[in-house]
Amino acid sequence: MTGLAARITAEGARLAAACTACGACVTACPMTPFAPGVDAAEPRVAAGGMRALLLGEGGVAAEAVAWIAACTRSAQCNAACPEALDVALMMRFAGMRARGATGEAPRYATRPDPGWSSRVKAFARVTLTEEEQAAWL
Amino acid sequence: MAVTVHPAPDRAVFWFGCNLVRHGEVIRASARLLEAVGVAAEPAGGPANCCGATQEASARITEGMGRRTVEGFNARLAGAEHGQVITWCPSCHMNMQDVMAPATPTNFETAHITEVLHARQDRLRTLLVRPVPARVLLHRHLGFQPRVPVNSLVADLLRLIPGLTLVDDPLAVPGHMCSSLSGVPGALAAAQRATLDAVAAGGADTLATIFHSCHRESVALERGCPRLRVANWIHLLAESAGWPAEDGYKAIRNAEDPRAALGEAGMAAAGEAVFERLMEPELRKAPVV
Ligand code: SF4
Repeated sequence: MTGLAARITAEGARLAAACTACGACVTACPMTPFAPGVDAAEPRVAAGGMRALLLGEGGVAAEAVAWIAACTRSAQCNAACPEALDVALMMRFAGMRARGATGEAPRYATRPDPGWSSRVKAFARVTLTEEEQAAWL
Repeated sequence: MAVTVHPAPDRAVFWFGCNLVRHGEVIRASARLLEAVGVAAEPAGGPANCCGATQEASARITEGMGRRTVEGFNARLAGAEHGQVITWCPSCHMNMQDVMAPATPTNFETAHITEVLHARQDRLRTLLVRPVPARVLLHRHLGFQPRVPVNSLVADLLRLIPGLTLVDDPLAVPGHMCSSLSGVPGALAAAQRATLDAVAAGGADTLATIFHSCHRESVALERGCPRLRVANWIHLLAESAGWPAEDGYKAIRNAEDPRAALGEAGMAAAGEAVFERLMEPELRKAPVV
């Protein structure tokens, strides 16, 4: 494994090794109402699952996967973490791993948008002059 | 939170990202505002300058796209004493700092447009002479604020506009911008309902968006609230400066018939098949609330 995949794996594991799975980040997260099962479980369940995922361990709780999938980068976790970890970055790396970015089997489905680039270019043709398109895009 | 004051660049790129192309007038007015405060920045964006965040299910593809973009900026800013990439999109900004720059060495500093304009607000003050009589609720998110305090920076910039009053409301909705919420069932609607409640409670007549995806989602709220105006903060600054910056996206998004609103020339530019398949579903989407 090289490049970004290696960094996600190594840096994610390094951060996770310092995590105590206390759950303060889960408690601070405004997205738990939109993550099925998370509010009903102890906060340490989702936190411990996130840590396990980053450490490459088995037994990642479904609540953790739901929490990771619902992360919208609100960043309230960072200020809440008693270990002063960059939890938002941990969640980002966890999300990438959970979506299969590093070669593992995806833990949740993503919604691909195959028309994204064509759509952006079409809007650009409508809103920008030809000169602007040539110079800026 | 402390505001980072970046040293003045001798050369700069205004990296507007991909999805801001829907709002050509915002790109133009942003570049003009930067120039007016003494920072000439060449605009760059679109898929050829993508941060790679759209491809996060593959580290290899994300990394490749990010590297291509960094290398392009390195080339544009080669030889600069202090090159700067001025970001618009919070996703691009965070991707640059978290993923792109750690992987590919950069010859530039990254700063957000709100930081650059805020640091030079004295020069903006002399420009913003036309009153914009509006009672404004600023649409704020929680997520980017710890990195760059955009909520307070934009509020300060809007306060420079004569005639404009900001509603004092603590609401900041989750996520870093509305596109992140739109992927989580129920989250965007909850945020928009909270926003409309704050508009009503504060007696606001204008909702000012900060980011493009929030603007894209929020302009449609005007359909259900005839007395509400949704404008981006750049639209409001441009209006006060007396610059033309008509909201072209809102005009087609809220039209009964987006095809007619786009007109013959617009349809020819978009292409019939692309319009039907990729643009029309977005333009006809009901407000999420
Ligand atoms: S708050 Fe910090 S230490 Fe506690 S579970 Fe979250 S990341 Fe781990």
